[in-house]
Amino acid sequence: MCADQTSIQPAANGNYAIEARDLNVYYGAFRAVNDINLQVERQKITALIGPSGCGKSTVLRAFNRMNDLVPVARTEGEVLFHGKNIYDADVDAVEVRRRIGMVFQKPNPFPKSIYENIAWGAKINGFKGNMDQLVEESLRGAALWDEVKDKLKQSGYSLSGGQQQRLCIARAIAVKPDIILMDEPCSALDPIATLRIEELMRELVERYTIIIVTHNMQQASRVADYTAFFMVDDSRTGFLVEYDESDRIFTKPKDQRTEDYITGRFG
Amino acid sequence: MAVNPRDNDVFPQGETYTAFVRKRRRTGAFFRTLFLLATILAIVILTVLVLDVANNAFGYVAIQNRIDPETLIDQYYKNQMLAMPRTLTSEEDEVLAEGIAARPGAIGFFGYAYYQDNADTLRALAIDGVAPSAEAASSGDYLLARPLYIYTSQQLMKQGPQVAAFIAFYLDNATAVAEDVGYFPASAEDLAAGRDQWVRATGLTASTASTLLPASGAIRVAGSSTVQPITRRIAERFQTEAAFTGEITIDGGGTLAGFERLCRTRDIDIADASRAMERPDIARCNSNRVEPLAFTVGTDAISVVTSQQNDFLTGATRDQLRKIFIGAERWSEVDPSWPDTPILRFIPGAESGTLDFFVAGVFGDSLDDLPREDLLVILTTNISAGRLRALNAELAMEERTRDEIQDLVVAEVVRPNIVESWSFLESMFQQEVIEAEVASIPNAVMEFRSWLSWDFITSPQSSNPATAGVFTAILGSLWVTLIAFLVSVPLGVGAATYLEEFSKGSKIDGLIETNINNLAGVPSIIYGMLGLAVFVRFFGQITSGIAFGMADPSTANGRTILSAGFTLGLLILPLVIINAREAIRAVPKALREGAYGLGATKWQTVWSHVLPYSLPGILTGVILSVSRAFGETAPLIVVGVSTFIVVNPDSPFAKFTTLPVQIYQWTSRPQEEFQRLAAAGILVLLLLLLAVNATAIILRNRFSRRY
Repeated sequence: MCADQTSIQPAANGNYAIEARDLNVYYGAFRAVNDINLQVERQKITALIGPSGCGKSTVLRAFNRMNDLVPVARTEGEVLFHGKNIYDADVDAVEVRRRIGMVFQKPNPFPKSIYENIAWGAKINGFKGNMDQLVEESLRGAALWDEVKDKLKQSGYSLSGGQQQRLCIARAIAVKPDIILMDEPCSALDPIATLRIEELMRELVERYTIIIVTHNMQQASRVADYTAFFMVDDSRTGFLVEYDESDRIFTKPKDQRTEDYITGRFG
Repeated sequence: MAVNPRDNDVFPQGETYTAFVRKRRRTGAFFRTLFLLATILAIVILTVLVLDVANNAFGYVAIQNRIDPETLIDQYYKNQMLAMPRTLTSEEDEVLAEGIAARPGAIGFFGYAYYQDNADTLRALAIDGVAPSAEAASSGDYLLARPLYIYTSQQLMKQGPQVAAFIAFYLDNATAVAEDVGYFPASAEDLAAGRDQWVRATGLTASTASTLLPASGAIRVAGSSTVQPITRRIAERFQTEAAFTGEITIDGGGTLAGFERLCRTRDIDIADASRAMERPDIARCNSNRVEPLAFTVGTDAISVVTSQQNDFLTGATRDQLRKIFIGAERWSEVDPSWPDTPILRFIPGAESGTLDFFVAGVFGDSLDDLPREDLLVILTTNISAGRLRALNAELAMEERTRDEIQDLVVAEVVRPNIVESWSFLESMFQQEVIEAEVASIPNAVMEFRSWLSWDFITSPQSSNPATAGVFTAILGSLWVTLIAFLVSVPLGVGAATYLEEFSKGSKIDGLIETNINNLAGVPSIIYGMLGLAVFVRFFGQITSGIAFGMADPSTANGRTILSAGFTLGLLILPLVIINAREAIRAVPKALREGAYGLGATKWQTVWSHVLPYSLPGILTGVILSVSRAFGETAPLIVVGVSTFIVVNPDSPFAKFTTLPVQIYQWTSRPQEEFQRLAAAGILVLLLLLLAVNATAIILRNRFSRRY
């Protein structure tokens, strides 16, 4: 790992990759999620599932301060990353996002060449090493190298949807983050491309912590080590119902509502 | 919520539904037709507009030269020939013949008949290897040969059978008579063509032609004195051999007088002519409903002769003839192998048509044929000393090319003047009326003119429509538009980026936004007043260049390209901002999030992704705005554009005019010719706009393709 000087230093006993404490997110006067407490394990895949509008994406975006981009959004509570609250006044959101990367619902490569797509993030973050090597490494990391090594100069848009999503993953790992957030990364992909991304996630988790939002419970049960189930109350505010190892959530959930959801009784 | 009892009750069924669908389709078809009509109407209106402009930009013009180039050239060479030393002139060919015969070093020229009379003492020279002979003259190989004609019309031959009979007799006997009189015969083809024409015009065959005889009545002939001897001899034989009892009158007066009497005063039946009718002659006839018919009856040739005693000269080239008659003092100067003795010249006098013909044949009668030095002499002898000094001050004559000097001769001496002009449609459908009208203007020549021409684009403004152009205006337009572009694009894109990306939506930002949107609707003349107050008056020191020590004394009042460029820049600024904001707003959120997700700052995101992605859209706005600036007139008039300027602007501190202003100036003049110039100017404006936009669009597409 790079030993760069940041204000986010590993805590002495930082057992968790990231931890939300009493997290509340508001959009204007509307409370989107209520008192979320969640500890995400290092180098594991944690899936956030739940019905539509339950705030799982909001929680995910709270983990790298993406909600800051929404002018009316406001966050209360703490998100501890290496023991430091990322919402503290002395923490820069830019730095947080470099350490906690993100892959979005729809593949969104930059309208640049494949090479540039990978190199840009490293360049703006002051990368001084061998760029060609970094690009190759990142593309290999995202299992895309063999498919694109002969056409690095071509536009990122020339790739298929699944390839584009893996390009976005390669782009994210090129800046060497600790955590990769994935917001329904397979919802725009066909089943085969989905399977490849899932395989990739299993490979990546050996080096990174992954948090994934998904609508697809099969996907969560297939790839996730831990699963958090969210629900929405009558005022449309999301809250965390149950968080446990995936095996348990999907076989013997403690909460009746979780069971109702995973057995397809609602949602 | 009420429950719908049965599907059949909520949706129309069967036939009802089919009818309902048809009705919906009809509604669609109605609007489609409506929109199609609107599109067609728009296209038709635009086409009509462009066609109207084009209609005015091309068409016939009547050009009057102050001096015809032929006259100018003939005068020039005649004067040169007459001014040469050891040159004897005489109107009496006999005197010339005797003078040449007596001197071995003498040379001269006259009609072939006189050479034949003196063939024992004189030798005719071959010119360019061709000796004067019947064949060489009628085939046109001999340089100094010209066909001789008689002219009449179908009408005259039909009304007067004696005229038809006379011409038939003329054609039958022309060959013998021409030789008798001392000319060469016409070529067999020309004579045959004449006979065919006669048959067509009279409706008689060669065999039935004799039914015209014996004829009586009057035959009136007039025209060229060159042709006159042939006509006279034919007339004598017509009376004796064909037993013609009527009266034949034969007048001289010259070729042109003959044409006039045949076509305009119409008091003769046949015109003698030593040259063919040209366009204006034919037009003059047509305007009087006379359709002239030409018959070639013989060939005239001028013989260049030396004495039989001359032992070195049997022929000469055209170039040698030029040197012999103008320039060389001694034979050896023309050809080193010739003796070093003086050249003695015996030539017909200044009044002689033979001299004119010799000059035209040997020296050429078009400015295009003249060498640089001759053009220079013609120029300098025909303009005032003051004008010559002025031209020399612009660019010394020594540095001008031959073609430039020819252009100067045309512009300064020939001075073609367009006295009348017609639109394209008039030129197409009323050609005869136009020809008649041109014929009624003395010395006017009809010419099809494209007002839009390379000369028009490369010439400066002028008060003479024939030479006026738009070059100064094009340069002015380009300068002003360039500055407007440089002012508005960075400011506009900057402001748009701020408002879209960095503005926090505060009250002041809101105020600015409202203001910009309103400014886009402010009449352009208001911007002109702003420009006058701010750039011309207040910042006059800067906009006229005084602050930089670059002032042109004549423009030190701030009415410069810089002031105009800034004014137009402000005028289009709101347009650039609004369009750039739209383009920036269209950048997908996902693109920004992708950048932010990698730890990019706002500026990095904007600079590397938002602006490049929105560049094509921004450029579209810039294209529209710059086109607007290019075509703007009103604010420039307020700011103080020059109305008549011939000096090309060379810096932002120069006086200027622009293309739209120039067009506006022209359209406000009463003369029709300036309306045509305006039309051509509009075409240039359209073409330039197209070119500028096409370049911008190509650039834009290249930007888009990069991603």
